Amino acid sequence: MEASARSPDAGKASPTGRNIGLTILACLGTAAVATPLLGHLDLANIVMLFLLTVLVISVKLGRNAAVLASILSVLLFDLFFVSPRFSLAVSDIQYLVTFAVMLVTALTTTHFTSVLRQKAQEAEVREQRTQGLYQLARQLAGSLTKEQVIEISEAFIKEQLAAQSAILLPDETRHGLVAASANALPVESHLALVALESGKLVRSDEVSGLGYAPLYLPLGGSMRIRGVLAVKFANDHLEPTPATLSLLEALASLVAVALERLHYVEVAQGTEVKMLTERLRSSILSALSHDLRTPLTAMVGLADSLFLIKPALPAVALETAQALHEQSARLAGLVGNLLDMARLNAGEVTLRREWQPLEEVVGAGIKLLGNALAEHPVKVDLARDLPLLNFDAVLIERVLCNLLENAAKYAPPHTAIELSAQRQGEFVEVAVKDHGPGFPSERRDELFNMFVRGQPESGKPGTGLGLAICKAIVEAHGGRIRADNLPAGGACVSFTLPVGNPPVVEEEVA
Amino acid sequence: MSTPAKVLVIEDEKQIRRFVRAAVEEEGCQVSEAESMAQGLIEAGSRQPDLLILDLGLPDGNGIELIRDLRGWSDVPVLILSARSQENDKIDALDAGADDYLTKPFSVGELRARVRALLRRRSRSGEAASPVVEFGAIVVDLSRRLVSRAGEPVHLTPIEYRLLSTLLAHPGKVLTQRNLLREIWGPSYIESSHYLRVYVGHLRQKLEDDPTQPKYLLTETGVGYRFQP
Repeated sequence: MEASARSPDAGKASPTGRNIGLTILACLGTAAVATPLLGHLDLANIVMLFLLTVLVISVKLGRNAAVLASILSVLLFDLFFVSPRFSLAVSDIQYLVTFAVMLVTALTTTHFTSVLRQKAQEAEVREQRTQGLYQLARQLAGSLTKEQVIEISEAFIKEQLAAQSAILLPDETRHGLVAASANALPVESHLALVALESGKLVRSDEVSGLGYAPLYLPLGGSMRIRGVLAVKFANDHLEPTPATLSLLEALASLVAVALERLHYVEVAQGTEVKMLTERLRSSILSALSHDLRTPLTAMVGLADSLFLIKPALPAVALETAQALHEQSARLAGLVGNLLDMARLNAGEVTLRREWQPLEEVVGAGIKLLGNALAEHPVKVDLARDLPLLNFDAVLIERVLCNLLENAAKYAPPHTAIELSAQRQGEFVEVAVKDHGPGFPSERRDELFNMFVRGQPESGKPGTGLGLAICKAIVEAHGGRIRADNLPAGGACVSFTLPVGNPPVVEEEVA
Repeated sequence: MSTPAKVLVIEDEKQIRRFVRAAVEEEGCQVSEAESMAQGLIEAGSRQPDLLILDLGLPDGNGIELIRDLRGWSDVPVLILSARSQENDKIDALDAGADDYLTKPFSVGELRARVRALLRRRSRSGEAASPVVEFGAIVVDLSRRLVSRAGEPVHLTPIEYRLLSTLLAHPGKVLTQRNLLREIWGPSYIESSHYLRVYVGHLRQKLEDDPTQPKYLLTETGVGYRFQP
C-alpha cells in the first residue's frame, strides 16, 4: 500500500512474477478442487467456480493477472472438465458458446473490478494527499521563518511525491532569484525567472537529463509572485499526472500565502523597530538638548547678572562679563546648530507643515536676529502675488535666519542685505543677497556639506553647519538650494519651495 | 510705588534661579523660590504671588499640569521658561493658560522686559479699561468700533476687526493659533490655520508701516501671535 501510494504512476502496470505465479496457482487450485466434484456438479456450476476465482484475482491482484486468469480458466475448464477430457478438442460444439461466454464474463468482471479498484486506489491517494495538504497548511500556518516554510514544503514533496524540490526567492533587486536553502537540486535559473515573471508554470524536459529540475511553479501570492518552486521527480521520463500537478499547484499557493504572511510580519516588525528607534533618538536628543542648554542658560544669565551688582563692578570686570555673555550665547548657538543637524541628519525629518504666507516667517526671522542685523539693513522685496506655501514655519525661519546671519557675518558693515522672493513656475524662489566678498568660486559646490566653510581659516566664528542645515531643511520640503556670486559682486544664496495646491481662503463679504 | 510685587520662581536648576532672582529683584519685586512642581504649587497657594516664572521641565512633573491646576483657582500671570526644541510644549502651556514664554538661553534684559510687561498688565487690570487703544500711528476706539491711522479712517472687515480686538484685549500675551481660531472662526476651524495667517497679513497691510517687518502684530513662529503695545 505504502509503495503504491508513493508512486501511483508507476508499479501496477506490469504484473510481477509473483502475481503470475499466484494467478496460475489459484487457477490450478480451482481446477483441483473442482475435479472431484465433476460427477456431482453440473458443468455450469464449475464455470461459476472459475468465474469466482477470476473475480477474486481481479480484486486482489489487478487487471493483468485477472486477464491471465480468465484465459487460463477457459483453458483449464476445457482441458479438465469438457469431454474429451485432457484434450483441448471439444466434442460438443455448444461448449464453444460456453467458452466464449465464460471468457467474456471473466474479462468483463475483470474490467469492472479493476476500474473500481483503481478508483478506490485513486480515492485513497487523493484522500492521503488532501490529508497531507491539510497538515502542510497547518504546519505552514505555524511557521515563523522562511527557512521553516522551505523545510516543511520540501519535506512534503519528498514524502508525497518522492521528488526533490527547491524554493527560489527573489533577491533584493527582484530581478534575480536565489535558492533559499543549501539544497543540492540544481536549477535552471533562466526557466525559474520566466516562471517568476510570467506567473505561469514552466516545464522543460530537455534539462532534466542534465540533472536540472524540469518543473518550475510560480508561488503566486495575493500581491505578487513570492518565488518559484522547482521540482524534479525521481523518474525523469515519467509524465506527471494532472493530479500531481494540481497537488503541486495547491502546495505552491499554500507556500506563497505562508511567505506572504511572513513578509508582512517582517514589514510590521520593521516599522515598529523604526518607530522605536525614532522615538529613542528624539528622546536622547531632547535630553541632550536640555542638559546642554541648562548650563548655557545659567552661564548667559549669570554673566548678565554681574551688571546688576551694586555698587557697579569696575569697567574691566563688566567688559569681561559682556564677553562671557557673548561667548556663552555663541556656544549656545553652536550647540543648537549641532543638535539641529543631528536631528535633521538622523533620518526623516518630521515637518509640521502648514499653509502660510512667506512674509510671516520673513518678519519673524528678521526680528529674531535683532542685534545681529544692526549694521546691515535688510531690504525685503516679496512679489505681491506669492501664493500661500506649505512649510514648517520654525524650520524655514531657521533657514532664513542662517542665511541672513551668514550675509551679515561676511558683508562689510553698513551694506544692505536683500531678501527677495518670486514665483518661478511650480516653485517660489527666495534669495538672500549681500554686498560682501562672495563665495570662493572653486568651493561653491561643497559649501552645503557639513563642516565646510567658505574660507577655512577665516577669523569669523562658525562651524560650517549653517548651510548644511539649510540644505537639509529645504530638501525635506522638496526644494533646492544653491549658492552663487553676483555679477556685481556679493554672494547670493537662493532656495526654492514647491507651490503645490494652496487652499482657498474665501474672501469675506465686507 | 505701593507694596512690591511678589514673584514666585519655580525652576530646578539652582544657578538659573540665582540670576533670575537677581534680575527680578532688580525690578523691585519680592522673590520666592521653589525647585519642584509640588513645592511650587504649595508656594503659589500660600504666598499668592503676582507673577509666576515657571520652568517647563521640572523633575517631578510637567509644568503644564501645574498651570492647569493653578488656573483652577488663580489667574496670576505665568511666564514660561522653555528650551527651543519644545514648540509643542510651549503651545500646550500657552493653551493651558500661560501668558508668555522665554526660550533658553535668554538674557537678563529680555527677562526683565517680560516681567515688567506682565506686571504692568496686573496693575492695569485694576483700573477701568480704556476703550481707546493707541499704538504707533494707529488709534482703535473699541467702544465705537473705529480704527484710524494717522487720523485717516481705516476700513476693516468684520473678521479683521474681531481679530484685532482679540489681540488688543491681551496686550503682550502670546495667543496660540488654536486659541485665536477658536475665538474668531469657531471650533470647526481649528485646523484651518491658513485663515488666521491670511487675515493677520491683511491687518498688517492695513496697520503696519512695513508689513514684512511688523512692530506691533508680531508672529511667534510655530506658536501664535502677540500684540506688542
